[in-house]
Amino acid sequence: MPGGQNKMKIVVCVKQVPGTTEVSIDPETKRLKREGVSIEMNPFDTYALEQGILLREKHGGEVIVLSMGPQRAELTIRESIACGADSGILLNGRPLGGSDTYATSYILSQAVKKIGDVDLVICGKQAVDGDTAQVGPGMAAHLNWPQVTYVSRFVESGPKELKLERMHESGSDISLVELPAVLTVLKDVNIPRIPTLKGRLNSRKVDITIWNEIDLGTDPEKIGLGGSPTRVVSTRKPDARDKHTIVLNGNASESARELVKILKSRIEL
Amino acid sequence: MNSNYNMFHVEVLPPRQDAEDLEVRLDRFAARYKRVLEAGYCACITDNAMGNMSFQGPEIIEEYNLPVETDNVMIHLNTFHSKKDLDNILKSCISQGIKYLLVVSGDGNIRFPKLKPSDIGVEGVSSVTAVELLQYINREYPGSFISGVAFNPYEPEEEEVEKMARKIDAGAEFVITQPIIDKNPVVDRLISSINIPVMVEAWMSKKLHLLSDCVGYEIPEETEYDPITTLSNLQSEYPSGGVYLAMMNYKRQFNLLSDISINAGGTK
Repeated sequence: MPGGQNKMKIVVCVKQVPGTTEVSIDPETKRLKREGVSIEMNPFDTYALEQGILLREKHGGEVIVLSMGPQRAELTIRESIACGADSGILLNGRPLGGSDTYATSYILSQAVKKIGDVDLVICGKQAVDGDTAQVGPGMAAHLNWPQVTYVSRFVESGPKELKLERMHESGSDISLVELPAVLTVLKDVNIPRIPTLKGRLNSRKVDITIWNEIDLGTDPEKIGLGGSPTRVVSTRKPDARDKHTIVLNGNASESARELVKILKSRIEL
Repeated sequence: MNSNYNMFHVEVLPPRQDAEDLEVRLDRFAARYKRVLEAGYCACITDNAMGNMSFQGPEIIEEYNLPVETDNVMIHLNTFHSKKDLDNILKSCISQGIKYLLVVSGDGNIRFPKLKPSDIGVEGVSSVTAVELLQYINREYPGSFISGVAFNPYEPEEEEVEKMARKIDAGAEFVITQPIIDKNPVVDRLISSINIPVMVEAWMSKKLHLLSDCVGYEIPEETEYDPITTLSNLQSEYPSGGVYLAMMNYKRQFNLLSDISINAGGTK
């Protein structure tokens, strides 16, 4: 294990996303509008972070949080540190902007290489703003590491390999993976902790490392809009769902009977 | 509750976790908390009110080394915690001398864990409510707390009364109602049917849309609503119980409280 005899050097990727009810797309640029909306850590990444912290608590080592984004993504890194991560690195630079998932996973994998001796990269299964689920697998490809996606349970974690339960459409598998590896995790995997006040106050004093495209030694042809092989060429809002509310005014048993009647009629339709 | 139960119980909201001016808000919380205690009222600290992820009262009290007077501090506690966090909060309360709890089901949020029945050794129920949480607290921390529960006069009365009976069986020792704006017949019937103290909640904000959310029916924003008059009326209507002051404006309203009733604290 590169990180030490038993200790683990774990990188957790986190993304700052708009509040899930506030996502909108700029009709001109086809990119997510990020200005003037509330921001939060991608909910799936909280499970990745918790898993990193749990593994460190078990094996020792360190959890390094990695995020690519604007300067304000530093807040999400600090939140991760408040939860228990040891340190954080923000990948920030104008040439990195506009990267698609291929370019993003290349940039993140360059950061993992620069950190060095990493045993494990953990990502949430996807970000709630883009919903692609491609960055974790993309990193594994760029790093040429094995990957296990949709991890729902850590069955065993040893110094050289992990035994994991992986969910898929028709059930689940138990997979063994040798380290170093990349994982993407589901929300079944753990219960993320809430930052404490002490943790939050301490996180405000921590220096966040910032790396740009030069620090990372990235190939200019592979980053940003120019280095992204995919383009969003048009977007549209989903059709509004036909929703309405029915208020059942009777007592509990009358309302239950009425509800059953309504549901039956919907099933018949 | 004890002999002081009819003092004003003043809500103090801890800062939200995402507050950018956190230190300012923590200082403000500490100042308000101390002000409530110095006035001889009870400071009631909410637990992630309205599903907003906030800091816990006991951790702020500890961090800021705030004074605790057992009869004058109440902590809300809801079911949206991991078992580990729940126990940490309760142990922190014990170590700081905090005895009064308001045990509620609470409001969720995508980030909050929800206690599962198996976490607290409960069988035969599909989810943890205030009843199961109360049972757990009294079983695992016997004699450590005096716990109250909430009563919602806007829900079907039959079900609420039945729930209240289960809450009392589980160890509830006092009740705080949802906000009422006048004499309320459902609350009156509750008071006459149970043997534990009932505090009524006065809505001290002019934000009527939030009050509408609480009471479950639409109160038009243009409705003339004077919180101080409402509080005064509730004091007159319910002289033997305490009043819980929700969403109070500390700048404009706090100094007016001492004029409202000599029975509501203010002894210091």
